Amino acid sequence: MRHVGGSILVALTLGVAHSVVAQTPAKIAVTSATLKEGETIPRQYTPDGRNDSPPLAWSGVPGSAKELAVICEDPDAGNPPPFVHWVVYKIPATAKGLPEALPIDAATKMPADVTGAVQGTNGFRRALYRGPAPPPGKPHHYHFVVYALDAPIAAKAGQPPLTRAELLDAIKGHIVGQGELVALYERTGPAQPEAPAGRGRGRGRGGN
Amino acid sequence: MSEQSKLISRRDLLRGVGVAGVAAAAGPVSILSTPDAAAAAEPAAAAAQAASAAPREAFENLTAVEADLLEAIVDRLIPSDSLGPGAREARAAHYIDRALGGALASSRQAYAAGLAALDRYAHASRGKGFLELSASDKDSVLMDVESGATTPGIFAGSSAQFFTLVLNHTRQGTFGDPYYGGNSNFVGWDLLGYPGVRTMVTPADQKALEAGQLKPNHRSAYDYEGFNKATARVESHAGDMKHGD
Repeated sequence: MRHVGGSILVALTLGVAHSVVAQTPAKIAVTSATLKEGETIPRQYTPDGRNDSPPLAWSGVPGSAKELAVICEDPDAGNPPPFVHWVVYKIPATAKGLPEALPIDAATKMPADVTGAVQGTNGFRRALYRGPAPPPGKPHHYHFVVYALDAPIAAKAGQPPLTRAELLDAIKGHIVGQGELVALYERTGPAQPEAPAGRGRGRGRGGN
Repeated sequence: MSEQSKLISRRDLLRGVGVAGVAAAAGPVSILSTPDAAAAAEPAAAAAQAASAAPREAFENLTAVEADLLEAIVDRLIPSDSLGPGAREARAAHYIDRALGGALASSRQAYAAGLAALDRYAHASRGKGFLELSASDKDSVLMDVESGATTPGIFAGSSAQFFTLVLNHTRQGTFGDPYYGGNSNFVGWDLLGYPGVRTMVTPADQKALEAGQLKPNHRSAYDYEGFNKATARVESHAGDMKHGD
């Protein structure tokens, strides 16, 4: 009996392992003209500057990709972590990157190379990029993650822009490529007092 | 897309007002509009043009610099668009200015410090004073002020708290009774579809109201003899705002 049980366990384990191997995403190389891996993010891309979204570039997207998505998240903040700074999806698979300073309002058209791309809802509950604003103390890490997807994300008319959690749920099982660039940001000086209790937008930030 | 954005903006705004009424409304409602939306709004543009052509009216409590900043802020918080005039046309800044000498006197110092800090933040982060920024950059600054993401040390307290203060008072100045100096020409009530204060409602009025066809009477509560300041006195929802002062 025990022997038979062990065989079943081995078979199940192998089956799971095979499944994982089959779905391991291809490696996408993520770079930027202005962000460098492991280095400080320029002020321009933070609220200490213009708070523009940074330019990103990538290579190594698998041929089977139908769409791309990007998330910028800070695992050093959030309640629970990560705090989400940026969500972009429905990026054409042909795109080689995202240009600098995507629109901060939905009425402005996306640049030609990424026509059709949609900015999702970030941790500030806005559908745009808002850069690093960590409380003074220690540098935070900002992960710019690029996903290649083997199927387009179904977006219903009138649907609010997806959050990170909703996007990850939607692309589960469809990630055929993935890569990231990690950059840092740190602030000095006195921390701002906490926002007054009950302000919906401030809750759950945990320093970002 | 542009039209949809404007409508969403207005819907959010009206939802926020609906929660707490015209006296005061607090909450995380986003009402920043889009520069394109504002630019495309012909009726609002005409109203704004008329307003700018009028001679500058003196403020009672704010300095000229503070008044200019506040006017620019309320103009972005509840902007004019195709659905009608916004907070600037409602004279929300004048309402706030007047109230800072009375009912909102306890907030005077918060305005002095907060407006100066906001302008310092605009200079430090965007290289220009708030008044010199494009509509889009003004919105970007206000979003950072709202979220408390401004550079540490520029605001003495929480920039988010200052934003909430100004937003609440802007709503009051846009949608409150015109008696208090805002809601000029009832533009706020017209935006909401509020038919006005009535001491008597006939069955015909009720039917028209339910059908959304009751014509606004454009009357302040204080236009009625039996509705004076003593009877109008109510406790504030916003903490420091008391009517009837």
